Amino acid sequence: MMNSEINPSQFPSRRALLKTISSGFGFLAFSSLATLAKARDDKSGSSNNPLASKDPHFPAKAKRVIFLCMRGGPSHVDTFDYKPELIKNHGKTGKFRGSILKSPWDFPACGESGLRISELFPSLGQQADKLCLLRGMNTDLPVHPRALTQMHTGNAQFVRPSLGAWTLYGLGTENDSMPGFVSVNPGAGNAQTYGSSFLPAIYQGTKLGGSRGGGRMRGADASSGGGIPDIANPRLNSRQQRQQLEFIQKLNYEKLRREKEHPGVEGVIESYELAFRMQAEMPDLLDLSKEDQKTLDLYGIGQGETDKFGKQCLLARRMSESGVRFIEISHDNWDTHFNMTTRLPQLCNQIDKPIAGLLEDLQRRGLLDETLVIWAGEFGRTPYAQGGDGRDHNNKGYTTWMAGGGVKGGFSYGGTDDLGAVAVDGKCHIHDWHATILHLLGLNHAELTYRYAGRDFRLTDVYGNVMKDIIA
Amino acid sequence: MVIQTKQFVKLLILLLMGGWISQTLEAQQMEQGSVSLTADQTKFFETKIRPVLVRECYSCHSTRSQVKGGLWLDTKLGVLSGGDSGPAIVPGDLDESPLWSAINHVDYKMPPRKKLSDEVISDFRTWIEMGAPDPRVLKENKVNTKITKEEIEKGRQFWAFKKPVSYSPPAVENQRWPVSDIDRFVLHELEQHGLTPSGDAEATIFLRRLSFDLIGLPPTPEQIQWLEKRWDHDREQAILHIVDSLLVKDEFGERWGRHWLDVARYAESTGKELNLTYPQAWRYRDYVIDAFNSDKPYNEFIEQQIAGDLLPVKTDQQWSENLVATGFLAIGPKTLTEQNGRQFNHDLIDEQIDVATRVILGVSVACARCHDHKFDPIPQSDYYAMAGIFNSTTTHYGTIDTLQNRHPSNLLVLPMDDLNPFDNRISTSQLAGLKSQLLEKQLELREAQLARRSQRQGDASNNPQTSFANIARLSAVVGGLRAKIQQYDEKGNPYTYFMGVQTKSRPENARLLVRGEFDKPAQEVKRGFPQVLIQKPASIPAKASGRLELGRWMASDDNPLSARVMVNRVWQHMFGNGIVRSPENFGATGQSPTHPELLDYLARDFQNNEWSVKTLIRKIATSRIYRSDSEFSTASFQVDPENHFIWRMKPRRLEAEVLRDAILRISGDLDPARPRGSLVSEIGTALVRDGVLISTIGSSNPDIKTGLPTRRSGGRSRMNREGGMQQTASPTSPSLAKIDQPVSYRSVYLPVIRDNVTRSMEVFDFAESSMVVGVRETSNTPDQGLYFLNNQFVIQQADKMANRLIKEKSQVKDQIKLAFLLAFGRRANSTELRAAESFYRDFETSRSRFGLSSNVQKLSALCQGILASAEFRFVN
Repeated sequence: MMNSEINPSQFPSRRALLKTISSGFGFLAFSSLATLAKARDDKSGSSNNPLASKDPHFPAKAKRVIFLCMRGGPSHVDTFDYKPELIKNHGKTGKFRGSILKSPWDFPACGESGLRISELFPSLGQQADKLCLLRGMNTDLPVHPRALTQMHTGNAQFVRPSLGAWTLYGLGTENDSMPGFVSVNPGAGNAQTYGSSFLPAIYQGTKLGGSRGGGRMRGADASSGGGIPDIANPRLNSRQQRQQLEFIQKLNYEKLRREKEHPGVEGVIESYELAFRMQAEMPDLLDLSKEDQKTLDLYGIGQGETDKFGKQCLLARRMSESGVRFIEISHDNWDTHFNMTTRLPQLCNQIDKPIAGLLEDLQRRGLLDETLVIWAGEFGRTPYAQGGDGRDHNNKGYTTWMAGGGVKGGFSYGGTDDLGAVAVDGKCHIHDWHATILHLLGLNHAELTYRYAGRDFRLTDVYGNVMKDIIA
Repeated sequence: MVIQTKQFVKLLILLLMGGWISQTLEAQQMEQGSVSLTADQTKFFETKIRPVLVRECYSCHSTRSQVKGGLWLDTKLGVLSGGDSGPAIVPGDLDESPLWSAINHVDYKMPPRKKLSDEVISDFRTWIEMGAPDPRVLKENKVNTKITKEEIEKGRQFWAFKKPVSYSPPAVENQRWPVSDIDRFVLHELEQHGLTPSGDAEATIFLRRLSFDLIGLPPTPEQIQWLEKRWDHDREQAILHIVDSLLVKDEFGERWGRHWLDVARYAESTGKELNLTYPQAWRYRDYVIDAFNSDKPYNEFIEQQIAGDLLPVKTDQQWSENLVATGFLAIGPKTLTEQNGRQFNHDLIDEQIDVATRVILGVSVACARCHDHKFDPIPQSDYYAMAGIFNSTTTHYGTIDTLQNRHPSNLLVLPMDDLNPFDNRISTSQLAGLKSQLLEKQLELREAQLARRSQRQGDASNNPQTSFANIARLSAVVGGLRAKIQQYDEKGNPYTYFMGVQTKSRPENARLLVRGEFDKPAQEVKRGFPQVLIQKPASIPAKASGRLELGRWMASDDNPLSARVMVNRVWQHMFGNGIVRSPENFGATGQSPTHPELLDYLARDFQNNEWSVKTLIRKIATSRIYRSDSEFSTASFQVDPENHFIWRMKPRRLEAEVLRDAILRISGDLDPARPRGSLVSEIGTALVRDGVLISTIGSSNPDIKTGLPTRRSGGRSRMNREGGMQQTASPTSPSLAKIDQPVSYRSVYLPVIRDNVTRSMEVFDFAESSMVVGVRETSNTPDQGLYFLNNQFVIQQADKMANRLIKEKSQVKDQIKLAFLLAFGRRANSTELRAAESFYRDFETSRSRFGLSSNVQKLSALCQGILASAEFRFVN
């Protein structure tokens, strides 16, 4: 079991280390201090920083996660779950509330693996050999907000920590200048999707961007800071701020000198260092203007419809490189009750090139093997029609996929019945899905626990089976 | 008399009748279980009824389907106990059987797609009229507990489940050290472990600690001077004097009330996916603050919150107070989008049981919802014994009826007027205007719905998306208008609403649910309390819900836990650790008390002093141990690294509210007056989205015909105005407002919106308001660094502080000294002064870019630095 409660009084003192620096304290000491501290931590194997990188339970396949969250419930039978029987039975009414609706789109065999992927994803189809389709997905409820919450926390009923928070709690983070869990444009009213609930607040996701419109994020814009509160000073220039920070740290070191043991003060000193680094690095990281044109093109940035999600995907790659542990980006609205034949192609187009670009780019940079990319909506849609040109919610069978991070590529696992209504084979409930994601990160979902209100809680509650078959 | 709106009464009657009918008939049917039906009856059901149910209904209304409307028709119990809107069938009575009107497409239209044939409908008539004979076996689940009587009896011997004992203070070696009995208990433990108490803290350190602990604000320079003068020769008297002077301040209740609001998971919105406001929640907040200020006996305090509506009263004022107190049970988070009414109801009850038991008793009974408690001898049936109590209670939390809100609820009306300034009288013509507007909107809504329906059948001429959005918006407007109209009597006088609970007139036991699943009911469980906590079974009259008895039991001297749990909370707030370090868990998996005898002594003493919280705090604050220094000792640390025995005072980080309030006090900007109501009550019924409150009726109609000023402009000006809700009696409320407003009243009055915490609160670990928070986190994050370095509020307050210094002192040296004195509660030492002076000298100012003189800029940057330092953030 993990060390589940963080007890500040058990922190080893860094006094000895800090002492040597406090005499000749200057700005340069910031970075060296962190490096020294890290070196010491690595040696002793313990750290007082709850975000410090931690060893997984067993060797991990993936180091980090990029979660592509598709809000609204994408239709699986029009995208990743090929159902010829729908064509045969088109127009029939049987056990369903509406008549069966065939997919208006073709499903060409893609890549060497020959995975059938809808023609709505021409670019992604070319990346088919990287994809591991999970065609036996199911979840408890066909209601958007609750299914979305369950997808993120495992539980729609109570406020529980999110997948990203559990991941950060289990593994810590690799970059001490960056938050370990970032959620881009999570949407209004979805605080639970990046919340930490009873886990310490430090594991909560940092929300970037407003509720809508990834295009609004311009990292370099100091006044907005890309949606991070208080990331830039509205008044002081960096020189003035450095002076001020040195004054603050002088007072802090003076306090530390007077009081022999005070982990809290040590924490404050470190938090100012990190804040100062974040202030310097975050806007840079969010600034996509330094990427070359070829890369921007790869993601479809500046190409109309694909621009917005392309930027999010590129941002996800940049964060992966800088060591953010869990990155979530979002796209909506896949709730195609009506006008599906016009809307679904638009939606697919908006993400097709950006995601293909992301997979390609990750691979080129050697990041794909250690980065688990997950694509999922909160549920799928019905094989029967709603209003002639739409589909209703379907929680009983749908498709998600993973790529990189130790999963088999060009692979399809599980399946729905002939019409795509219900998962019948290789069934993967959200709890199983969570267990598998944690497993790929080297975490045993049954052992990743946190004691709260007198009992040990876990992401998967009392459920969850790792889908070993999909692991490469 | 409590005035209730017609709607509410109607709702109540429906609920009650539903419950009653289902119960009595179920009982009859169960008796019938053994009486076999006639062959004809069985045949009729099997040939005419069952096939129709299977074909037409089961896909949505069976235990294997989604169970729409909470109704399942594939079991006899399901048919008779019914769904959200009561039993589906009342045997022999067509008019009372919703299923009958539904298949006739009267209210509901079932099946929704195609009406049943006349022949089938006539079969159902025959069936219901003949008493709805149903041969399907009423399967009775029964869950037997694995916890034996002996185990429960043994559990009663666990320390926390036995009544506290009045221990005499133990003998100590160092007789000169203790000043009170508390000290003797603590010193005894220290001596037992070979530890010595640390020395007394300096006057300044002690005063800062005391002031923050008691009123949540820093000491003034005058208080510092006063105490320092007396510290050496008249310490006891001086402490006594200053403690008493702090205990009578109104700020005391604001500080200690907030501690209670943490555990009471106080908030002004439902939280979850559909986050709607609770515009009346502030009444409960003020009730709590007033209770601490008036030193209301704690047992009375909890009794009011559990059963205030049932307590005998002499005056309307007393009654009103009791009623508002029951808001405790109503303010929890709600999943308004839950589709299943039963699930919603069970979750509501569960939340009430969980909060009541963990907050007041320090045990978690809700653990036994799905199975026997794993660690404490609390069988699953004990949970359902309590569930029966809350199941016999109706909870009135408000929230309007909209398309998305599947569980709207009415508020209750106080027996006496206690309006807030936003509730103004309106003229009868304004009221009439609202009513006609409602009609108009209802019509519009109906038309839109019709349009949408036709569209669903393939008419592509309309834009469906707009139509859907339109319907959602219209339904919110209609719901909002209806709620607005309900705020007034027919003459336009506003009612005083509150959140709270009422008892159903026919209380009923709950059924145990197999694995806690609402569609797997098992045996009925008699209403009662957890057995392990009582010596003899609770006596709950058949006609009573049991809530009054529960409240009285919790408040009685016989309760083993209530007093212990509260004295432990008080101790924790003054020492940083409780005697029991798991304040919501005194059970087997909780932590053992570090000073069991002291805990009992304090609990008994608390009871003997009429459960007076102020008396308890006074005793602790004047003890020797409370004035201990926080100095570190390596030797003591090696013996007791966790500081279980208090060999030093634990240094603590200040809470979010204290930090914000202290900054405001130091800068001279704090407005000490209590604002009336809250931002949420000003905006009224609203949806919360991304830190903004959006009134449900507001912006939709800027040209309201009632003479109310236009909402849009009202909203705009509101957003730009400083000072928030200390507004004049404006005749209307604004339509939207940011939750984070630049206001200067105390933090306890800031709006508490679930999932939308204001920046200054969120950054320093404000209590998660969807949970019971007995111990707040004290994180140390870079976000806090960013806040102090860059936040607008901090910078503005630093400016104000600088101006205050300039006003009070003419020399820079003195200004700097005063800055330290105000922020740290002590004089700066030479290192600090040197650092400050050189910063002031070297800091390069910008050329009046912000209209500030160079001096103010320097001093402001300096003040910000002092406020940002660790010393300000911690108390020793």
